[in-house]
Amino acid sequence: MRILLAEDEDQLSRAVAAVLRHMNYEVDVAPNGQVAADLAAQNRYDCMVLDIMMPVMDGIEALKKIRSSGDVTPVIMLTAKSEVTDRVAGLDAGADDYLTKPFAIAELAARIRSQARRQDSYTPKVLSAGNVRLDISVSELKAENSVRLSQKEMDLMELFMLNMGKSLTTAQILDKVWKDDQTTEEEVVWMYISYLKSKLDAVSANLVIDGEKGGPYRLEEGAWKRS
Amino acid sequence: MKGLDTFMIYGPYEKTLHLVMDQIVKELSDYNDKIKEKTGDGIYEHLLARVKSEDSMLEKCTRKGVPQTPESALRFMTDSIGLRVITRFRDDIYQIIDYVKTLPGVSVREEKDYIRHAKPNGYRSYHMILDREVPYKDIDGQNPGHYYIEIQLRTIAMDSWASLEHQLKYKKDIKNPELIGQELKRCADELAGCDLSMQTIRNLMREEI
Repeated sequence: MRILLAEDEDQLSRAVAAVLRHMNYEVDVAPNGQVAADLAAQNRYDCMVLDIMMPVMDGIEALKKIRSSGDVTPVIMLTAKSEVTDRVAGLDAGADDYLTKPFAIAELAARIRSQARRQDSYTPKVLSAGNVRLDISVSELKAENSVRLSQKEMDLMELFMLNMGKSLTTAQILDKVWKDDQTTEEEVVWMYISYLKSKLDAVSANLVIDGEKGGPYRLEEGAWKRS
Repeated sequence: MKGLDTFMIYGPYEKTLHLVMDQIVKELSDYNDKIKEKTGDGIYEHLLARVKSEDSMLEKCTRKGVPQTPESALRFMTDSIGLRVITRFRDDIYQIIDYVKTLPGVSVREEKDYIRHAKPNGYRSYHMILDREVPYKDIDGQNPGHYYIEIQLRTIAMDSWASLEHQLKYKKDIKNPELIGQELKRCADELAGCDLSMQTIRNLMREEI
């Protein structure tokens, strides 16, 4: 596990880094937001801890810079106790958690572990349900037979498998799977549902997508029917 | 023109093989025309038919360890008459299969759906062996007689894959056969995904009309 720690108070920074290293974390230290943003651009981290009040570039500016580059590494902000606006600004800028000063290092370590766990559980490589395996790393849908899916089909199938048995409306699906393109027409959702229906059938899956054109749709167990 | 004597392996039945083959080709071609009249598109893209050559049949008898006789060629082997039907869409394959089963004198001796159950290397195709009763004498002396017809059906995409894979299979000294195998399998599964998407698009378009 590699951690980026950005803290301008030298004593605090050294103490936290020493404890984290003792817990077998690899720790890079930045004395201000500018150095933190530069390090984040060069290295991959499992978690970043950013103080808000720092010289040269504060923690919120650094975070905005890191997020605008597409980096989704978990970030924990360190804030002064009274500054509610800082905490709000930090979370709005893309922080995942915050901790108010003064804090116990054990709590910081626990929050780092918690963030790392979340990141792992957010990106499972293989999803399984019924006799179906969805291997996200290679876009493969597999049951008795296998086919490869396109990116959007994958995203949609992943959404269904993470929400087995739940009804999903066309609007919810558009919002999740086509979030990068607000102009996508509702018609497209039905088209992709139709692709997945035929592909689930083609691999002899015992899962079916229930629902007519317009939605809502639900992935559930059911014997495939040969049309 | 090559006479009957060039195909000794089939004895006096070689001419009948051609009659039986021509009959089913005509039936499929007429069916194709009928569908085309109705929908504007043929049911298949193209169709190939052949009576297995003397050399291939002799070689196959040797490989399978059976004597090089008309009995082996017409009773032990089932591919003296072979058809390959290539379609544009996946569902067309199943529609042709249903039609073939309605033809007079046809009974299905064996069928394997390698489309729903692709081979481990990714190969997809539908294989049928027909036993057809025809008004000609067969090798057992019966009249009406019985002749085997093998049919393979697949889409253009499956056919392209099979053709490329066939070519690569006989390449020698491949450095990393395992990787090549994995990649060919991936291509087959991607093509299958495209076939299904194209089929779905056609279905959606037809529903709208």
